[in-house]
Amino acid sequence: MIEVKNLYKSYDGEFVLNDVSAQFEPGKCNLIIGRSGSGKTVLLKSIAGLLEVDEGEIWYDDHKFSHLDTVTKQKIRKEMGVLFQGAALFDSLTVEENVLFPLDMFTPQSRKEKLDRANFCLERVRVTGSNGLYPAELSGGMKKRVAIARAIALNPKYLLCDEPNSGLDPETGIIIDSLIKELTEEFQMTTIVNSHDMNSVLEIGDKVIFIFQGCKCWEGSREDILKTDNEALNKFVFATSMAKKIKEP
Amino acid sequence: MKLLAHIGTYFLLMKRTFGQPQRHSILYRQIMREIEKVGINSFGIVVIISLFVGAVITIQVNFNIENPLLPTYLVGLTVRDSLLLEFSSTMMALILAGKVGSSIASELGMMRITEQIDALEVMGINSASYLILPKMIASLVFFPILCLLSIIVGLFGGYFACALGDIIPPADYINGIQYGFQPYYISYALTKTVFYAFIITSVSSYYGYFVKGGAVEVGKASTKAVVQSSILILLANLILTRTILG
Repeated sequence: MIEVKNLYKSYDGEFVLNDVSAQFEPGKCNLIIGRSGSGKTVLLKSIAGLLEVDEGEIWYDDHKFSHLDTVTKQKIRKEMGVLFQGAALFDSLTVEENVLFPLDMFTPQSRKEKLDRANFCLERVRVTGSNGLYPAELSGGMKKRVAIARAIALNPKYLLCDEPNSGLDPETGIIIDSLIKELTEEFQMTTIVNSHDMNSVLEIGDKVIFIFQGCKCWEGSREDILKTDNEALNKFVFATSMAKKIKEP
Repeated sequence: MKLLAHIGTYFLLMKRTFGQPQRHSILYRQIMREIEKVGINSFGIVVIISLFVGAVITIQVNFNIENPLLPTYLVGLTVRDSLLLEFSSTMMALILAGKVGSSIASELGMMRITEQIDALEVMGINSASYLILPKMIASLVFFPILCLLSIIVGLFGGYFACALGDIIPPADYINGIQYGFQPYYISYALTKTVFYAFIITSVSSYYGYFVKGGAVEVGKASTKAVVQSSILILLANLILTRTILG
């Protein structure tokens, strides 16, 4: 489980995260939703340890991540898979080398074992026959899948995804979402997904946290989200005229 | 204050760069890749520029010391010393700052803005050591080789100018490049090149590694890397010349 307690983060005196507390449970897709600029990415990057918070605590199971020494932090990071918004595949490496990368870095396995694991991960995300291609030769959806394969290569306990279906068509977006949900349940990972896509929320949101102007404004399940009377959340969820028609037929 | 912040951040980056590498086998592999990128791929430009500069120096020296009282072998001697003392180390470093420095800054800058550096950090990898250290080692090892290559090719350039352009008899030129030769000049040139290699890779890496923004900022970082490296090379040249030869 990942838990954040009273997180504060500011830039030039302006709070981007303001007293955010939340629990993210294992085996579930925990979604952080909110408008662009609401602080979702800052929250996710703070959880991943890429940004230092001003105040507050981040817990990975029994480890207080925000106050750990570098060595222990690195140990936890090895149990963490992160899917970045733009996939962040290494340009100079092929698909196979990208997935092999964490295995080369952290495992004492033989070359054959590593290749087997990389191929297993690629098959798991349904990318086959593209091992020798470079990221520049892949479509957006393929890049995201390869990034997921790389993220799960070390069998992580925690999976953090920053807008996994941004820039993808709705159908591919749903495929990526479903894949994340499938893997989360299969490997019982604690998954946190940043999104502003309502399709994702309704598809995979076991637990949803709504961030509004840097504060946690609402928390519930995907079923609750359609019935809430939270004004800011309703404005976000039913932003389009079509959605408004569904809400008020 | 801003300058102090830059200097402080630069030294902190260098401290991280020289931190414990993740795996020595991977470091070795990375060094080999970088030797190809920063070293072998610079062979062409070094050969072409040195060949022409060697020829041009020969023509100009001959033109300027055309005097019956001065022996013609002086042309060869002057070309040799010009190449050894300044051109093949300092001028070549300025050219490599443009080629290699901008390439390093833009590569790291693109990695930063596309979150590839974040991806390394989040895996628990020291991204500075993984990305910068191999470039630095490759440059420190290979730039002196490029300097030697430049000296040799430059001398050949002078020879070709003599042989093909009827400047002075080639035998006099060869006599000149051998006359009063001090092997110490070679170690002087190589020492300077090692310092320049460090300046080019570290300054360019610094500007690339800390890029914020998008493609425009990557371009700006690349330009800054070349300009700052060039200024520091000239400053280092002055200090090293004064220290070693003074």
